[in-house]
Amino acid sequence: MIQKKICMLGGFAVGKTSLVRRFVSNVFSDQYQTTIGVTVEKKCVTVASQEIMMVLWDLYGEDEFQHVRDLYLRGSSGYIVVMDGTRKDTLQTALALQQTAANTVGPVPFVSIINKADMRSEWEIDEHVIEQLRDRSWTVLFGSAKLGQGVDELFLNLATQMVQRPPLSNTHP
Amino acid sequence: MSSPPLHPVPSENPLPDRVLSSLDIAVFERNGMTGEFHLQGRAPEWWCARCGSEPRTVLDLDLWSPFLKDYLIADDPARNAEASVVEKSGPWTETDGQGATMTFEATVLCIESRTILLVECLGTGFEQMRAIVQRARERVLAETIASKTQRKTETRLINQLEASERTKDDALALLQHLGLAALVLDERGRITFASDHGLELLGFSAEEAIGREWEEVFLIEEQDRVMLRELIEAPPNGRIVGPLCMRKPNPSWVELGIHHDPRHPDRRILVVTDRTELHTLRRVLNEQSSFHDLVGKSPAMLRVYQLVRDVASVDTTVLIEGETGTGKELIARAIHSVSERRNKPFIAANCAGLTDSLLTSQLFGHKRGAFTGAVNDQQGLFEAADGGTLFLDEIGDIPPPVQTALLRVLQEKEITRLGEARPRKVNVRVLAATHHNLSEDVVRGSFRADLLYRIRVARIQLPPLRERREDIPLLAQSFLVTVCTAAAKTVDSLKPDALHRLMSYVWPGNVRELRSAIEFAVISCKGREVSTDDLPPEIVGASAVPDLSASVPLPEHDEKTRLLAALADAKGNRTEAARRLGISRATFYRRLIELHIQPR
Repeated sequence: MIQKKICMLGGFAVGKTSLVRRFVSNVFSDQYQTTIGVTVEKKCVTVASQEIMMVLWDLYGEDEFQHVRDLYLRGSSGYIVVMDGTRKDTLQTALALQQTAANTVGPVPFVSIINKADMRSEWEIDEHVIEQLRDRSWTVLFGSAKLGQGVDELFLNLATQMVQRPPLSNTHP
Repeated sequence: MSSPPLHPVPSENPLPDRVLSSLDIAVFERNGMTGEFHLQGRAPEWWCARCGSEPRTVLDLDLWSPFLKDYLIADDPARNAEASVVEKSGPWTETDGQGATMTFEATVLCIESRTILLVECLGTGFEQMRAIVQRARERVLAETIASKTQRKTETRLINQLEASERTKDDALALLQHLGLAALVLDERGRITFASDHGLELLGFSAEEAIGREWEEVFLIEEQDRVMLRELIEAPPNGRIVGPLCMRKPNPSWVELGIHHDPRHPDRRILVVTDRTELHTLRRVLNEQSSFHDLVGKSPAMLRVYQLVRDVASVDTTVLIEGETGTGKELIARAIHSVSERRNKPFIAANCAGLTDSLLTSQLFGHKRGAFTGAVNDQQGLFEAADGGTLFLDEIGDIPPPVQTALLRVLQEKEITRLGEARPRKVNVRVLAATHHNLSEDVVRGSFRADLLYRIRVARIQLPPLRERREDIPLLAQSFLVTVCTAAAKTVDSLKPDALHRLMSYVWPGNVRELRSAIEFAVISCKGREVSTDDLPPEIVGASAVPDLSASVPLPEHDEKTRLLAALADAKGNRTEAARRLGISRATFYRRLIELHIQPR
């Protein structure tokens, strides 16, 4: 079984930890608990008849208090950029983090998700912006960690991309 | 992977061991040959909790988060340098044997080619820092939500405002389109809104009117203002008041609808309707049925009213012709009232039956001692009427010497009192009246032609009543009201048969005779309606006129009979006889002389 290091990137309180916990343990808490530091979780998935151990690095949220260290991104086979649809400023954070990740780990697969689809009526990120992201070759998914919508699809999408992609020298063993 | 059992290497210096142990820090040194990290000194308390019941002295990375392995295998050139470098891993989380979360931070030290690993279990200080960050982020989130809520509220209010503005614009456009003059008053009577047409009627701009009290911009009569104030302050029930005369910008007549504002019981909505045109039409209609004291709306009388207006505007002499009792003096008064001289005297003089000396003295005045009985200087009627109008009734009856003097006055605009030589300038407009045919008098030589031409610059021919019978009901009703008021009696109307009788009578005394007949009837009337029996006997007994519209001059012997009968009824009292016939005393005298009647 191959292992793949995957980093969860995004602004604070966008739902990175919630997505990982929903995916790994299928649990969700409405109580916001900020992440300080790094929590690593693992989950095995099968994609194209191939078992993959997804090593999910749930990094702390980027904000004025904490900045993601390049060191944590090294060795990533892919990454997930998370945005909060109800907060437009998380889009700018996502764009900056994706740029950092691309500079650090190179052109590895990544998927973005606009979380909190259960509050769609309050979204500030509109279709026009989403189209602009897709124009930049971003894979943009919608999901809700709260409802479990689009969570498995998110990780499987990335896993599929990683399997289909020829291994790079910096791919985590 | 098996690890050797925990056998801490005895330290040569127990104090540092105790210090590190009390800080919950595990110290490892890397074996340069195997690359394994060996526990040095005393193990901290968490070591057993994290690594199980049989912890080893060699660090088993498979039991730890991949985070630690990544940190340790990172080939950082700085770490391998001889110089002392401190690079912490940053916090990461692990779970202990009971599933509880523990947070660690690792530090690799390179000291004299020895690699030392410190693993610290983050405790109270870290949790305090986490709590601070948690609170700070929660506050940021709360502010974000509050800001978003505020933006939403702002957007909603702006949308409501825009919708409200649109509704207001629509309503305003509708008001303007309909030409409605509407004003809104607040609870203190100040104008808070006025439509364009409302402002136009008030004669103020929006800047001048909005915010001011209605009483400041409604320029109306004081009694109207008092009445309007009471109505505005009273509980509203959709009253309409008016028409009221507004003085600004031009005199106009308006009706006011006073309504309550459905949004606020103490506010008022005033709808102002311009009724000027309607008022003018009503006035014209009223003027057509009456003109000053003249009553009648027959075509003949309407022509007379127009003639009066025409001659009033020019300051010229007017000859008023018409049978006795047709209202010649009323015409003269009407001309005076409409003319520019209306604020000056109007003096009427009857020229009939006076000697030339008496008439001359009356008209021109005299000096003391000018004749026997002239005990004082006396101004004449011309002087008395200076600046105004002198009405000379029965001008056809004035003696030739007076005609000459009158001609001089009209030509020279000056008079000379009897007994004086000095002429006096006078500014008098002369209106003359006669029942004579003056042209025939000129032919007969009894009237000066030059005087006729001088006084007949303009002429008004008054129709006899028999030629405007359609005015009889209007005249009768008008006299009925006047007479009842004077007599303090209540008689409302004439019964149809009485009115028919009046319509069929020939009326030789014209309107004056009709008035006398109504006076007679009111005195006789016992109820509230005049019946035929209440009318004077000469009218009741008269035969009906076959052709009501025809002019039927009375035969001379018939008139003589009427005069004698009236004298007999009045027991020889000529004044009473004249009144009964509806003619003036002077006319009565004149007719007695003309018909050679010698009163007893």
